[in-house]
Amino acid sequence: MTDIGARRTAYLERLAAADEAGAVAVAVDALDAGVDPESVLLDVVAAAQREVGDRWAAGEWTVVQEHVATHISERVVAAVARHAPAPRPGGTGTVAVACLDGEWHGLPARLLAEVLTRHGWSVEFLGASVPAAQLATHVHRVGPDVVAISSSLPSRLPAARRMVEACRATGTPVLAGGPAFGADGRWARAVGADGWAPDARAAAAMLAADPDGPWHADAAEGGATAGDRTGREEQGVLHARRAELVRLAAAAARPDDGDPTDELADDLGHLVDFLAAAVFVDDPALFDGFVSWVGSVAIPAGLRVAELAPVLDALAAALADSPRTVRLLREAHGGLPAPVG
Amino acid sequence: MESRFGAPAHDVSEAPAATITPRATPAVPEAPPVPGPLDGFEEGVVICDRAGVVRAANPAAQELLPHLRVGEIIDVARCEVLARAVREGEPEGFEAVVEHATGERHVRGRRGTAIGPVPPLPPATREGDRYWYLRDVSDEQARTDSLLAAQERAAFLAEAGRALHGVLHLDRTARRVVALAVPRLAAGAVLVVRHDDTVTWAAAELGGGRPRIGHGAAADLHRVPHLAAVLAGEGDGSGDPRVDDEIATLTGRRSAPGEASRRVCPVPITGVVEACVVLTDPRVAADEVDRDVLAAAEEDLLSSYVARAGTALAAAALHEEQSHLGTVLQESLAAPRLPETPGVLWGAAYRPARETMRVGGDFYEVVGTSERPAFLLGDVCGKGIEAAVLSGRVRQSWHALRLLEDRPGHILPLLNTALLDAVATRDEDPRFATMVLGDARPADDGTVELRLATGGHPPPLVLRADGEVEAVPVAGMLVGGIREARFGEAEVGLGPGDTCLLYSDGVLEARGSGDFFGEERLAAALPPCAGAPPQVLCEHLEQVVVSWLDGHDHDDVAMLAIQAPHGPGSPA
Repeated sequence: MTDIGARRTAYLERLAAADEAGAVAVAVDALDAGVDPESVLLDVVAAAQREVGDRWAAGEWTVVQEHVATHISERVVAAVARHAPAPRPGGTGTVAVACLDGEWHGLPARLLAEVLTRHGWSVEFLGASVPAAQLATHVHRVGPDVVAISSSLPSRLPAARRMVEACRATGTPVLAGGPAFGADGRWARAVGADGWAPDARAAAAMLAADPDGPWHADAAEGGATAGDRTGREEQGVLHARRAELVRLAAAAARPDDGDPTDELADDLGHLVDFLAAAVFVDDPALFDGFVSWVGSVAIPAGLRVAELAPVLDALAAALADSPRTVRLLREAHGGLPAPVG
Repeated sequence: MESRFGAPAHDVSEAPAATITPRATPAVPEAPPVPGPLDGFEEGVVICDRAGVVRAANPAAQELLPHLRVGEIIDVARCEVLARAVREGEPEGFEAVVEHATGERHVRGRRGTAIGPVPPLPPATREGDRYWYLRDVSDEQARTDSLLAAQERAAFLAEAGRALHGVLHLDRTARRVVALAVPRLAAGAVLVVRHDDTVTWAAAELGGGRPRIGHGAAADLHRVPHLAAVLAGEGDGSGDPRVDDEIATLTGRRSAPGEASRRVCPVPITGVVEACVVLTDPRVAADEVDRDVLAAAEEDLLSSYVARAGTALAAAALHEEQSHLGTVLQESLAAPRLPETPGVLWGAAYRPARETMRVGGDFYEVVGTSERPAFLLGDVCGKGIEAAVLSGRVRQSWHALRLLEDRPGHILPLLNTALLDAVATRDEDPRFATMVLGDARPADDGTVELRLATGGHPPPLVLRADGEVEAVPVAGMLVGGIREARFGEAEVGLGPGDTCLLYSDGVLEARGSGDFFGEERLAAALPPCAGAPPQVLCEHLEQVVVSWLDGHDHDDVAMLAIQAPHGPGSPA
């Protein structure tokens, strides 16, 4: 009898070897051994993918290796669906599952779609990086009972607001999921979503208990305060000036270099995006989370912790007209670890 | 009961005199008539001493507070707020409802300045005397009440408008229509809508939870003839028990006991849908008070609500018709599923321009049924429906032509002629397309030979397994432009792990905050993907291009990658 942890380890090894057939075999063996398909999807595939993400953040894997692993896992999800077909939809209702615009990690949403299908829902999976207009068209046309939006990156929160508003205009409740909305889901309310689920199992349980929402624990008024005016304006400024700010920040980080490396430009772009999202939901914790993430990852040629202080100063100087942005930058600066040596 | 302004109002049962020690009345038990300056006041004036005993009151005050007695404590006047105000000095202003034999009167009071002396009792204002001025504001109150009620009705309609206008989905609109009606308009509501050949009903009841919904065929309406007549605008149906029975037949549930009153409200003619709302225990009929004014206002509210419901239902039905057309078109033009072919791997990405409702001018096709899988990637000029129609024509022509002619270099001129002929028979303006088409022949040694033909399209790129990138030097003229057009041909050999990438110019012309994406960036983005499956390559490039766009609009983006599988044991 192989326990689920061993299966996960074996699966991860197949991902590391880019061995699609082997990875499919691990999943199918588990199904044949009587492991619940939902457990194969969540405790083997999803758990292994989290490890893949950690390896990428630790600089052990390249982004293309991560893409290959994700591609294999997508194929495995399809294989699981073929090998252990979900029961026909049980009239529970219809749910549309979509990733936030700009969120390219479609696998968690795909897994959610599979899990909900197994809980009797009729599921439409719209894929990765769904533009708000496309989601709105789908909701108007198909009229799902619930829209589930998924994202891992808090920097996509302003996009989440557009998507939530598009759904709420049609009266369709929106369940948010994934770490983008904060470890406790606190930003789900800030973007106007009707609830937040930490993972696919929780989402299935919440929808089973109450298909209509709102699902917020304290049944206060639904998130009508999505992005106050200051937040929207300053976030808009950051978005409009993104390219310019990245150049400024790169010059501040490495004054002696010429053009910034792609990795540095990517990281600084993320920094501006996270800053914009933090301004949008007015929560310094969101930006602090990014700053500490920079300290924890090891992307070669990417942004280094020691370069943060001059970057934050340069941005604060360039954005003097945006008081909330400047406040967040100053607070983040105050929280930086003291330079060693 | 609370007054409108939150201040505690009168207490009809018992003035709280018990909390005050009853006191002996002064020596004069019967107050003599009070001549003097106060008599002329329109406002009621009450003068009380510190202990709460009424020292004087003018006729206007007596009229407003019939139980008021000069010489007795103020509590006997049965106006609790005033009694409290007298004892405690505040509130200095208040509103109260006073019970009269003829009905309720609204009284507004304020503490006022002392006027003195006030003969004959007392002869002079004494230290600590307080003057209270009372006024009958019953009419004002009635006006305020009706204003507030009108505001409430307007707010309900505004809310109904907000809730209905954005839905654009017939079932969801139907649910909302009945959900809004309960409890504001009635204890229960059933909506029946006929659109084309479908009948949709939705039902909501007080405390019944989520509205129920169901569908039937319009052909079955003959089973509910009276309801059908109402839908067709040929009858009222209110109070007709047969309509009630038919509603119960339709929804499978009798919404209320038989004696409940019902109203049938046909939705004004929209030209798109036929609909009616059936209310159980409607508020209009139930209202007993002030029947004329209130009932008329409620009647107005009801008809406005029904009209809004009709508009929303018609908009949703029209939108569904339109979007159904769009959906059928989208599905016929959607990016095809890639085949599984022995010895050749495929990958693709397709991202239509945002404003074209996922119907784009870029297209690709792969057919893997023969020994030489054939492929096509192209781009027709223009956007939206016109582009989609042309791309459909190109695809269908290609599908037919390749059955008769397998050499790519021969198919392309035939396709050119076919497009020109199709345009000529319809007096259309010439419509151009650019494309790369070809086929792939896998060999036993794991290599793949590609034959390519191109017209007006960016040159394909080859990503070797070792990360080297080469452009295939091939060019040609636009397809569908002129009959004598010349097209380019090329052959490309793919070793194990080599990938050939076809892409539309939407990739090169993607423009973010700065430059176009361009060929150099595309070539630079490829090497890290060496050896990755072709689907991963395409998804990665799509992501790179969209990141480059940085939220800006873009033209259609299409990519097709063809790969010779790398042999066993080679690195990913």
